[in-house]
Amino acid sequence: MTLRTEVLIVGGGATGVGIARDLSLRGIPCLLIEKGDFTSGASGRNHGLLHSGARYAVSDPEAANECIRENRILKQIAPHCLEETSGLFISLPEDDLEFRDLFLASCEKVDIPATLLSRDQALNLEPDLNPDLLSAVEVPDGSIDPFSLVIENARDAEKRGARFLLHTEIRSIQRDKDKILAVKGKDLLQGEEYIIDTRYLINATGAWANQFLNLVGLRLDLALSKGSMIITNQRITQRVINRCRRPSDGDILVPNGLVSILGTTSIRLDDVENFEVTPSEVSLLIKEISRMVPVIKGTRFIRAYGGIRPLVLPEEEEDDRAISRGFALIDHEKRDGLKNLITVTGGKLVTYRLMAEKTSDLLCQKIGIQTSCSTHTRPLPGKGTHFELNKRLKEMHPSTGKGEEILCDCEIVGRKELEESLTKENLKDLQDILHRTRLAKGTCQGGFCIYRLLGVLHDLKISKGDSNSILKGFLEERWKGIRPILWGTTLKEEELIESIYKGIFNLEP
Amino acid sequence: MHYDLIIIGMGLSGLMAAKTAAEMGKKTLIIGKGTGSLCLFSNTIDVLGNLSEGMKMADGLQEWIKDHPEHPHSKIGWKRMNEALSSFISLFPSSYSFTCTDLANSLIPTGAGTYRPTYLIPSTMIAGTSLKNGKVLIVGFKGFKDFYAGYTADQLKCRGIVIPLSEFQGQEMIATAIARLMEKGPFREALGREVKKQMDGESHVGFPALLGIRDPLRVKKDLEEIIGAEVFEIPILPPSIPGMRIFRRFKEWLIQRGVTFLLGHSVLKADLNGKRCESIEVSHPPLSQSYSADRFILATGRFVGGGLKAHEEKIYEPLFNLPVVQPKSRADWFSNSFLSNHPVHQSGILVDSSFRAIDQQGKQLLDNVWIAGSILAGHDCIREKSREGIEISTGYWATRNAFQV
Repeated sequence: MTLRTEVLIVGGGATGVGIARDLSLRGIPCLLIEKGDFTSGASGRNHGLLHSGARYAVSDPEAANECIRENRILKQIAPHCLEETSGLFISLPEDDLEFRDLFLASCEKVDIPATLLSRDQALNLEPDLNPDLLSAVEVPDGSIDPFSLVIENARDAEKRGARFLLHTEIRSIQRDKDKILAVKGKDLLQGEEYIIDTRYLINATGAWANQFLNLVGLRLDLALSKGSMIITNQRITQRVINRCRRPSDGDILVPNGLVSILGTTSIRLDDVENFEVTPSEVSLLIKEISRMVPVIKGTRFIRAYGGIRPLVLPEEEEDDRAISRGFALIDHEKRDGLKNLITVTGGKLVTYRLMAEKTSDLLCQKIGIQTSCSTHTRPLPGKGTHFELNKRLKEMHPSTGKGEEILCDCEIVGRKELEESLTKENLKDLQDILHRTRLAKGTCQGGFCIYRLLGVLHDLKISKGDSNSILKGFLEERWKGIRPILWGTTLKEEELIESIYKGIFNLEP
Repeated sequence: MHYDLIIIGMGLSGLMAAKTAAEMGKKTLIIGKGTGSLCLFSNTIDVLGNLSEGMKMADGLQEWIKDHPEHPHSKIGWKRMNEALSSFISLFPSSYSFTCTDLANSLIPTGAGTYRPTYLIPSTMIAGTSLKNGKVLIVGFKGFKDFYAGYTADQLKCRGIVIPLSEFQGQEMIATAIARLMEKGPFREALGREVKKQMDGESHVGFPALLGIRDPLRVKKDLEEIIGAEVFEIPILPPSIPGMRIFRRFKEWLIQRGVTFLLGHSVLKADLNGKRCESIEVSHPPLSQSYSADRFILATGRFVGGGLKAHEEKIYEPLFNLPVVQPKSRADWFSNSFLSNHPVHQSGILVDSSFRAIDQQGKQLLDNVWIAGSILAGHDCIREKSREGIEISTGYWATRNAFQV
């Protein structure tokens, strides 16, 4: 099939989808192509922090200022996708108070409200903090649900005419000397092949930027840095807890809905597809974060995961087209003589909108039209999925609790609710279903409900492929997140899961 | 109260130890926090799954023992294992008996539509071992979330149907509730008639393993009479109704034989005097009490049972603080693939030939405590399909050894 579009956006993370919304608000037709589902890359694999920018106030004031401005905008346009928790930067006896004072002064310089709290004031707000702390600085950090944020951007863009091709991979690019002419794509689920004629291309593939550029013989100086995180079984603190020292491993604990997320490490990588969180990274995070919040030592964890930050190296940053040190925007016409290609990469989740705005501005300038951005004033529609359990119980499907089977006992997902989202969104792929429901997000991480989900797909006669192969694939994928955190209760439960699948069901490699 | 033998743990190995002691006329107490893996995973009696097709268990096991000298099976040997298995079989009346086919493993269908090899099979599952000779129908229940007839049937390449059960209007359908309902004659009759209506020349009809707790053979026979085909049970997600039947039979028999049966009690600590255990302190809030005995059997299972625990750095045995043989560091506990072997499963308590705990140098650690069941080192009972075989034979022989028979 041949498709035609004005602009082809490559990558379904926050940046790509943000660009799709920005362009469609400006009335520019666009098509977005993504080889997995929305948020398959770093957008779905971060600690969900709504940065106040304070973390960068000392080292990178420009990035810090970008963060606080975007922080304020997101609170206005997407309150349903985030929680205004506030955040504390705490100083422990081994930390340098001179750094704290520099931190306070730097926050003031970039317009980040920062309040110094005494030990007692801090403990009053967060009783689980290490009682040895010296002081804390309160800043407007928060938490964000990246999946709702991206989905709501996508829905709004789609309503305004943007189109999305998910699970579609770019196989080759047809170009002449100074221009990309068309792109060949293949639907990885259905096998259908597309030729996409487009006037402009935006490479918003994040850590995959070079994989894309390779198809046109280009390369960016990009480093990949793995950050590992661990999810707790319950929410530990009400506020984001940061360590008030220069950025290092294990310096943040972010509350997110019903859980908290420990972060992060930073390890250079070469391979963007295959990486794992190691037991030693997990031990390091626990050791460091339990200095701030001692109860972390005995806490139950449900999953470890890693994401890849694409870091643009100095040579690229010094390029005059780089707008900020936070992210890189590259006009390949100027850099490489390829007229209709733009790459945007780097940055943070909280600055996705700004990145989309600047990218769209550059594109409009290249097209030669004058439009202005409105994403900073137009609220995102939708209600988000980021709500607390008590709200969830209230909003539960009317049939749940009246004898209807509850497929996921951890997150209370009923069968009717699942069947509705399966039919409404025409979902068939297992990971897509898991992204759009709460299945497999809870304590057992899908140990029980995946079997049930496959059973329901059979009942509805929409199962695709061999269910036991899908089941095995899921169990292996799940394992990557479980394996680094197996001790205590989690290990006990894992013996149960193993006894089911390898024992009772005799699944073999 | 003073006993000849106190057994800690009420899984299959503990129950088997209690039966063995009771038969020897010993004054016995068995104490359990819960019923362990028995009521979760046990459906049939696995001894060793990985045998080539048609190979007799006796031959297969002897070969296995040659290659696995540290395995619990190897400490006992086939002849003595068989004696323990016979003792287990003898507990069950003809209405729910365990048998094997041709002294070898049989393949039974599971809730994921796979087949699994197993050794002793209860009478309600036997018809499932000969599916290849017939046309099969799989029956599921609408609203029961732990079994999907379509999924299972698709894998087994046969037909699946789902029957609504009107008895569950407005309440959640759980395994034990369905199993109890199966014991009611009119319910079975209505269910049988509904299945019969939907038959299409099938010779075998498979149900999830929920055909009653007290008298499952009666349920099976009644259904067979109405439907006009052979009925068999399929093992499903926990809890295991067939495991509960085993537990129930042991409990009834042990209490009848005068064994003190303390279910729902946990052991707080063991009182040691040098290398002897004198007594245990038992908690049953708000009370706690001490029980003494000449001999003890530790049959507390692995992680699910609570016999082994793990913190971030180490696996330990919480009651006697016995050394646990284990991989060097946590990074080595599990391998990269879920479905492959994990070294952590080989961890556990080392024992001598009498089943008393020893350290890595072979030194005996406690004089009057014997170890039985899955807490032992040197096996991977989940993958090997050896769980019940280990539990039954070590429960039996640890007790016999304790009284030097």
